[in-house]
Amino acid sequence: MILVVDNVIKTYVGGESPVEAVRGVSMELRQGEMVAIMGPSGCGKSTLLHLCGAMDRPTSGDLLIEGVNINKLNDDQLTRLRRERIGFVFQFFNLLPTLSVGENIALPLLLDGGSESEAARRASELAERVGLSHRLRHYPQQISGGEMQRAAIARSVIHKPALLIADDPTGNLDSDNGEKVLKLLGELNREIGITILLATHSAETAAAAGRVIHMRDGKVERVVVRGALQPSEESATHAIV
Amino acid sequence: MRLFKQFILRHLRNEKLRSLATILGIALGIAVVIAIRMTNDSSLRGFEKAIETVSGRTSLEITGAGTGLDELQLNQLDWLRDYGQVSPVIEGDAEVRLASGRTEAIRVLGVDVLRDTKFRDYRILEFAEKRRDPRPQEFLELLLDPQSLIITEKFASRHALKVGDRLKVTFADKADEYNIRGLLRDEGPARAMDGNFALMDIAAAQLAFNRLGRLDRVEILLNDRSRIDAAESEVSKKLPEGLRVNRPARRGSQVEKMLEAFHFNLSALSYIALLVGLFLIYNTVSISVITRREEIGTLRAIGVTRGKILNLFLSEAAALSTIGISLGLILGRFLAYGAVRLTSTTVNALYIASAAEPPPLNLEYVLIAFAVGLPLSLFAAAVPAIEAARVAPTAAMRGSDRLESRYRLRSRYLIIPLLLLALAWWFSKQGPVAGLPIFGYAAALSIVFGLAFLVPAMLFVLVKIGNRLLFRLFRIEGRLANANLAGSIPRVSISVAALSVSLSMMVAIAVMIGSFRETVVYWVGQTLKADLYMRPATRNNVATDAVFSSEVERIVQSHPSVEAADRFRNFDLVYGDSLVTLGTGEFEKQLKHGKLIFKTPADGPAAMRRTIGVDAVIVSESFAIKHQKSVGEEISLRTPKGEARFLVSAVYYDYSSDRGIIVMDRGTFIRWFGEPQSTSLTVYLRQGADADAVREDLLKQLGERYQVLIYTNSSIRQEVLRIFDSTFSITYALEVIAIFVAILGVATPLLTLILERKREISMLRLIGADRRQIRKMVVIEAGLMGAVSQSLGLIVGLLLSFVLIYVINVQSFGWTIQFHLPLGFLVQSTILILTATALSGIYPARRASQLMAAEQVTEE
Repeated sequence: MILVVDNVIKTYVGGESPVEAVRGVSMELRQGEMVAIMGPSGCGKSTLLHLCGAMDRPTSGDLLIEGVNINKLNDDQLTRLRRERIGFVFQFFNLLPTLSVGENIALPLLLDGGSESEAARRASELAERVGLSHRLRHYPQQISGGEMQRAAIARSVIHKPALLIADDPTGNLDSDNGEKVLKLLGELNREIGITILLATHSAETAAAAGRVIHMRDGKVERVVVRGALQPSEESATHAIV
Repeated sequence: MRLFKQFILRHLRNEKLRSLATILGIALGIAVVIAIRMTNDSSLRGFEKAIETVSGRTSLEITGAGTGLDELQLNQLDWLRDYGQVSPVIEGDAEVRLASGRTEAIRVLGVDVLRDTKFRDYRILEFAEKRRDPRPQEFLELLLDPQSLIITEKFASRHALKVGDRLKVTFADKADEYNIRGLLRDEGPARAMDGNFALMDIAAAQLAFNRLGRLDRVEILLNDRSRIDAAESEVSKKLPEGLRVNRPARRGSQVEKMLEAFHFNLSALSYIALLVGLFLIYNTVSISVITRREEIGTLRAIGVTRGKILNLFLSEAAALSTIGISLGLILGRFLAYGAVRLTSTTVNALYIASAAEPPPLNLEYVLIAFAVGLPLSLFAAAVPAIEAARVAPTAAMRGSDRLESRYRLRSRYLIIPLLLLALAWWFSKQGPVAGLPIFGYAAALSIVFGLAFLVPAMLFVLVKIGNRLLFRLFRIEGRLANANLAGSIPRVSISVAALSVSLSMMVAIAVMIGSFRETVVYWVGQTLKADLYMRPATRNNVATDAVFSSEVERIVQSHPSVEAADRFRNFDLVYGDSLVTLGTGEFEKQLKHGKLIFKTPADGPAAMRRTIGVDAVIVSESFAIKHQKSVGEEISLRTPKGEARFLVSAVYYDYSSDRGIIVMDRGTFIRWFGEPQSTSLTVYLRQGADADAVREDLLKQLGERYQVLIYTNSSIRQEVLRIFDSTFSITYALEVIAIFVAILGVATPLLTLILERKREISMLRLIGADRRQIRKMVVIEAGLMGAVSQSLGLIVGLLLSFVLIYVINVQSFGWTIQFHLPLGFLVQSTILILTATALSGIYPARRASQLMAAEQVTEE
């Protein structure tokens, strides 16, 4: 199992009263799955995604990535976990504007202490794979949004992570580019068997996933498995997908 | 006003660190300017106040040429009584040895008490208690005994002295005990030198100062003061040759002129710290404008006019600088104590006895600080404020008009810096203006601004080169730091320029001082050939009143180990409207034993020999440059026998004083000025004599009675370098402050950049950069800014050092300095700067490493 989420609650303290963003969510992701989380703004999908990406720790409940409980990791260990086992794709691409496309793609390997030549070789391979080999020396502001997202995807998989977290990866793209990005994610999922967890507002994007978890008010409302006519009968608050 | 409170004051409160750093920067800049101003004023005002308080009601004074006037000349001046009262005066500095063993300088006035009470107010305590002034007869009785003096009540209470006590005083080279016969209340001349003042009978003072038969001046109290102009011109016409009439204040203006170049250079240096402070203001307002573009857009959209936006940002600068200037004034007063201490050695050694305390902080300084600080701050803030006013509302709100952060080098960016450098070249070729190196400083300023404009281009080139190198050195953190710098060239350029300017000045000053020191070391090594150098203990380099007793000269000359003793005399002489030093020595002895280094002609010693027996002189290089005289020309000097013309036979190198020295052979001097008493003795020993042993022996023979300083050859060399080093200690102190301000200028924008880059740093953290890596990246970035600044500082510093050495120094002081690169210092300072700037990145680095809000990357 790549990811196990067990009755996770996330409460934010601060402001006038604490806010419970995730209220007792449970789910599992198996190797090679592609799962989408859908829901309106403020439903808690981004918070859940951050928790699954080891960007944050749950307030209560357990969250296991490849069997490792992130509650038991300190900051450095969490960082290492992200660096080695998780890839990230964001709505706003988040490429470093000061690095070239090639340098952006190679970044995770270099942060992990990899050699420059190996990182450059892998970056070049991936750039070719995502159709950006002609853009390696360009800077992010010199390429289109679709290209930026493809570069971000290449960066997210260069270190061969077990889990790819994609937060609304098509949210900032036109439909044509959105489609290309989804296609690319699907190919990566199928070809290299990477497990993908993505959050989206768009039903079209969600349709690319094998299963869709609908959230509302911090809870799982229902789970839809592709090909199934009806939503899963399992408990919405204790769904094991 | 409301908008100012809401938009500017709240923002400043939220940006505490940046606001504080800017305020501190301005405060330090102003503090240095005010401190130097106070220091300059203290040396001059102390002197002028002493003249003013000691001269009392004196309207005019008659002085001789150089060494005062013969008292017999008084008989020829009987006609002066038609104009008013006449009083002869002896004035000089003596040294009091206190019970604690410490010594203090004291100004001694020797007067004819019967005549003098009309000139000055002496309130003697004993009589004041009886509510009356002493009658002349009573006054005379107090000072009848030549071993008696009257000191001030202030001096007495400071050192627990009372009437009847005995005081050890050294006049010139003679130490003796004197009876305290009375105490002066803190009025009139008793206020001179903060109470370090003593009154003696004129005859006793002549004896004490080895000036028997001589007078320093004759003072005149006019019957009708309103006729002072007419009286001055009439007296001037009637005076015999060699005497001159002046107003007492003129002595002050001559000293002011003498100190002008020294003060001008100190002031110019002090403005560097202010300049760096102004870069900070520019920086802060720029950052404020850049980071608040959307807000400005919103304000413009809801109807705030361009004028108001401009005013808002200018008032931000005004608010920051007002606080900074106020703080700077207070800080300046404290710094002034240190600056007075650092400069007083130089001023005392090379120019005049100066006051030990800076003047109080009065309205004049407050006005100067605001008059200098506020307009300059507003000027610095004007560019970003105008940019703020130009913000187009809709584009700014969308964020689409953000400045392109990636800098691209275009050839037109090089036009302004190259023009400025060309201008600097032209300025450096111009001569002085009224004796001041105005164009020299204009050249330095052009280089500095040329550099500032060149910084973005240089950063662009350096980050291009740095990419691979930094990866090799510091792995990915090095590359990220380099990339960050490359991505924020327009932003960091100002900080780098400020730091570079500061560092370039440090380099320039270090090169100048290092070159100067090497030159002086060489000069000292070549010219100081004698075995012993002697001077009266109370005499500093320029106090012309301390001369040797003839007994001392006799003891030295008759010592069996002494082969020759060159008796040297020097004193102040008015030349044109400035003071120069006229010296006289025994040229035969100098030519036989000593060695001067001549600038012109090629065979200097032969030219020097030719001056013997004729009306010719040799002059120092500074005299030749300042007064534009060269070999073969004539100079006109005032002598007791009237104006006389002397041929300039040779120009020699001299670094002991910048006022200009004219030296003539003793024989020539005696013909025009009379028999000189020596102010120093240069002693050459017989072969095989041990200088230390002879020194000890001479000291033993001179005993307690004569207080003479005897330096051996090696100790005089050390003394020269000690004075040299202390002269430049203030320069280093000013530089340290400027660098401190500049480092503030690196730390604050770095912090702002970090806060602006929250999103990128959070992203780095998410994809696996740990805290240590983020910290390392920011510290490298800070160090890089330091490294780039230091590299630029080194290049521009060398250019500036040429201007300092070959233009400013020559025009200010008339010195030729041989160029020398102080490599050790430059390496040391480079390491220090890199370390200091890297350390300044620690706080921003800590802040950066704590960033990792997932929201940063998921929201726009």
